[in-house]
Amino acid sequence: MRQRPWLVLVGGFGGLLLLMAAAETGALLFLHSLRHSGTSLEAHFLERNRTLEQIRSNIYLSGTYARDSLLAPEASGAKAQIAALENLKRETEAALDSYAQSLEPEESAPFRLLHSEIGAYWKVLDRTFAWSAEERNKYRFAFFYEELIPRRTSMLQIADRIARINEDALKRGDEKLGALFDRLQLGLVAMIAITLLGGAALAGLTIFHILRLEGEVQRRLEESVQARASLQELSAKLVRAQEEERRALSRELHDEVGQSFSAVLMEAENLLDLEPTTEARPRLESIRAVAEKGINEIRNMALLLRPSMLDDFGLVPALDWQARETAKRTGMHVQVSSELAQDLPEEHKTCIYRVVQEALHNCARHAQANTVQVDVRRETGRILLSVQDDGSGFDPQRVRGLGLMGMEERVRHLGGTFEIDSQPGRGTRVNVALPMLDLNGNGSNGTNSHSAG
Amino acid sequence: MEPIRILLADDHNVLRDGMRLLLERQPGFTVVGEASDGRETVDLVENHQPNVVVMDIAMPNMNGIEATRRIVEKHPRTGVVILSMHYDESYVLRSLKAGARAYLLKDALKSELIAAIHAVSEGRSFFSPKISRILKEDYVQALGRRGGDDSYELLTDREREILQLVAEGKTNKEIANRLNLSLYTVDTHRTHILQKLNLHSVPEVILYAVRKGIIS
Repeated sequence: MRQRPWLVLVGGFGGLLLLMAAAETGALLFLHSLRHSGTSLEAHFLERNRTLEQIRSNIYLSGTYARDSLLAPEASGAKAQIAALENLKRETEAALDSYAQSLEPEESAPFRLLHSEIGAYWKVLDRTFAWSAEERNKYRFAFFYEELIPRRTSMLQIADRIARINEDALKRGDEKLGALFDRLQLGLVAMIAITLLGGAALAGLTIFHILRLEGEVQRRLEESVQARASLQELSAKLVRAQEEERRALSRELHDEVGQSFSAVLMEAENLLDLEPTTEARPRLESIRAVAEKGINEIRNMALLLRPSMLDDFGLVPALDWQARETAKRTGMHVQVSSELAQDLPEEHKTCIYRVVQEALHNCARHAQANTVQVDVRRETGRILLSVQDDGSGFDPQRVRGLGLMGMEERVRHLGGTFEIDSQPGRGTRVNVALPMLDLNGNGSNGTNSHSAG
Repeated sequence: MEPIRILLADDHNVLRDGMRLLLERQPGFTVVGEASDGRETVDLVENHQPNVVVMDIAMPNMNGIEATRRIVEKHPRTGVVILSMHYDESYVLRSLKAGARAYLLKDALKSELIAAIHAVSEGRSFFSPKISRILKEDYVQALGRRGGDDSYELLTDREREILQLVAEGKTNKEIANRLNLSLYTVDTHRTHILQKLNLHSVPEVILYAVRKGIIS
């Protein structure tokens, strides 16, 4: 699995948030529609009930008007009642039409019956309007009690049936709404469960991923620490190898090449002793001069590579020599003070010697110093070196030459600290502290002070 | 007159051969032995009892300085001439402290070698003119930088006279005889000289004298 982590996180959390938003929106919409359908169900019921009531009251009312119209001796005397009946008939037709719009399947049979009953009822009534006075007199009561009342009763019964059916429909609608509520509840529970499960899964995935990333980071860190360590080891090895090479080369030059030149010199002296011819003498003297020059050059080269005092006598004589040489070459006054009871381990003295050498080189080359103070001290568990000059100084934050880096590197290899204290115009002080185990306690502290320049 | 018995100590064969040839031709010199390392040199001194040892510093199996120390410790009358590539004062001072009387550079002329052998066989010191010059130059340069507080100015004429004799390797008794002084007086002078010059041993006195050009 090698996806980019942000993609996984954005996908996971985004998905979860979307799921939650969708669930909430769905639930809200559903609730809204439920309330809406509840209200409309009620409104529908009330409307139909009202229509039915109107029909029923119209039928009642029509009975009253019909009786009144029949009580009039002539049809002409009941004009107002007839007109009212006509009006009721229209209204009832309209109410029936409106009711027919939203007919429940269970109602259709009784409704059709009601419709036809009402139609028949009006027709029966219509017939009475055409009656003559005697006919009225004669049939009035019979018609009223035997025709009109039973019809009216039957119609009202049908209307009641329809009303009951309507109520049943309301009840069923309520039940349907209840079922919908149950579904909503179930849906919400399911949604919450899914969201929780999704969240848990995402959290698990995220934790897994983060742990994996952390492991990766840890591994990389270890790798880079290891790489740096081996790089440092390599650099330390290189420095040691270089020093070893210099020492070997210096010794070889000094002891072998130099000695050979000495031998040549000696042999030239021998030949000169044998009273050579006037032609050979200047040649021999030339050989002697060349050999002499060679010895001097070899000696200087060897000293520059690695001064033999460092190996023969230790750090302080080598520093003294370095101070004298620098003084002779540059005219600076170099003061060396040392408090070393005994000589240092090879790596330590080489390190200090090279740091001082580089520092003196910098003093002469960059700082234009007049006086340099070199100080080597032994403290419990460490060696302190400082090289202080009165030269031009510099900003150590900004200037970091190869020489300084080399010094620092050498010191680091021995686990020491290296710092430069300098400001433009205020001289420079190089401070080195090298950790060193006390080999045989603190001997007598020999104090030496030498100066050259 | 007995010839001066010389032992050569150098790990370089060709050089030793050349030197032997050179010295054997000199009247009054005889080369009694050759050694190629420090230990052998010490042993050969036991066997041959030479007057003078011409010694290289850089030798295997004990260097020339250590060999000098051992030889002079046991045979104080043996004069040691150091013949070395090194011209730094640390080598000169350590050689003197080990008991060497003369210090020559390897580019020395034949005449210097002969003069040095004569000097040490008589108990005197000798230095390559080049060495004297280098030591003197370093010293003068250091003095100049330090502001010229030359403690030599503090010495009386008598003390300067005695300083020179001490540097030449004379014992207190010899000095007393020569200057017609009591041994006690010479000793007091000597103590004063060391104090005034801040020196601690005869080799340091010799080095000082060379630097000042009092002896060469």
